[in-house]
Amino acid sequence: MEDNKPASFIDQLVVPGDVVLDLSKMGNQTIKLGGGLHQDCDAITVTKAGRLRFSKPNKYWVESSQKRYVPCVEDTVLGIVVDSKADNFLVDIKGPAMAFLPVLAFEGGTRRNIPKFEAGTLLYVRVVKANTGMNPELSCTDAHLTCPVLEALGKKLSFEIAVGLNGRVWVNASSPSTVILVANAIMNSESLSVVQQKIMVDKLLQRIQ
Amino acid sequence: MSMEIGRDDGRTANQLRPLACSRNILNRAHGSASWSQGDTKVLAAVYGPKAGTKKNENPEKACIEVIWKPKTGQLGKPEKEYEVILKRTLKSICLLNINPNTTTSIIIQVVSDDGALLPCAINAACAALVDAAIPLKHLAVAICCCLTESGYVILDPTKVEEQKMKAFAYLVFPNSAISIIPEGSSHMEGELMEHGIITSVTHGVMSVDDYLHCLERGQAASTKMSAFLRRSLQSQAPNDSSRAG
Repeated sequence: MEDNKPASFIDQLVVPGDVVLDLSKMGNQTIKLGGGLHQDCDAITVTKAGRLRFSKPNKYWVESSQKRYVPCVEDTVLGIVVDSKADNFLVDIKGPAMAFLPVLAFEGGTRRNIPKFEAGTLLYVRVVKANTGMNPELSCTDAHLTCPVLEALGKKLSFEIAVGLNGRVWVNASSPSTVILVANAIMNSESLSVVQQKIMVDKLLQRIQ
Repeated sequence: MSMEIGRDDGRTANQLRPLACSRNILNRAHGSASWSQGDTKVLAAVYGPKAGTKKNENPEKACIEVIWKPKTGQLGKPEKEYEVILKRTLKSICLLNINPNTTTSIIIQVVSDDGALLPCAINAACAALVDAAIPLKHLAVAICCCLTESGYVILDPTKVEEQKMKAFAYLVFPNSAISIIPEGSSHMEGELMEHGIITSVTHGVMSVDDYLHCLERGQAASTKMSAFLRRSLQSQAPNDSSRAG
């Protein structure tokens, strides 16, 4: 009656308090813990409700949707300038703390050509440092992303886009109806499979032709 | 066993009112939930973590702030006490070391009060914290146990029942967690409270035996509520019909 425990909780729905891994039974391997998991001696407990995921060789995390962003190194995000100081711009990236963008962290940046960003300027930046207890640090950069929805839209429409991993997206096009169509396509695609996304984009594009 | 006592709404002594929980009901809040037990309903909204801590709070840890909004009128002494109890209870389930020097605000809005208001608010606040993905050690499950004039313990009273009680206790337990570590290794012989208790607030006069009786009944009910909470939190998990390769 007692031994009906599943071999593992991977791909199962978990809530805070669940103990999903026992390090004392896992030999000497190193494992990586992503979001939603916390180590307490040998027990790995869940801290956010969601689905426990595993990716080879050794990474575990809890997949969940949330409105606030948890800064992670190498993420590209859209930030809004809040203030500028002598050495840094203060940028809001929808996380627990304000992020710093050093005034020199630009291509060819020197003390003589520091950009002048007013409060409210939208910037596309990369997270360079994200340590607990410290403000995240950013840098200005370029990035290329592939996505079925954007590729399908790009075949018929002309627009510019910057996608932030912190939940902000910037879209620009010559006509407002194109901007609205692209924005709607992205928002609609959140819970659809790849096949469903293609059907949804085709339907939206048919409406304007 | 004890005699069945007749309650006005036909429930048995240990029977809870119908529970309902909805998450993500407020657009602008970072997390939100409504929780109802019968006709008592509370809305909770969570904002944060936001940079900075309040005055007199330790900046090396995350800070929790609770604001209580009664259905009508101003905050009185009971409501201020609810804010303090809620703050202490929620602080103890949060992992305060993860986001130091931040403040997470929880706003409680009373929608309707038909008894057991504070436990209902605690349950709503916990669900809202989960919705906001605030890192938690475990969940909190709150229940009200009261002692009638004739010495019976009844659970989850209506307002009318509350007013006739000799004494009552608000009890908050941690949720029942699933664990990959076998139960046997942490269970103590004959120990009912193996999982402990987070908060206990009592009013009125009751004997030690009556209090222990309340704890036992409350713990049993919290197991059922824990299962309900788990199902409720899981039914709104992200849709995984789009699997990554």
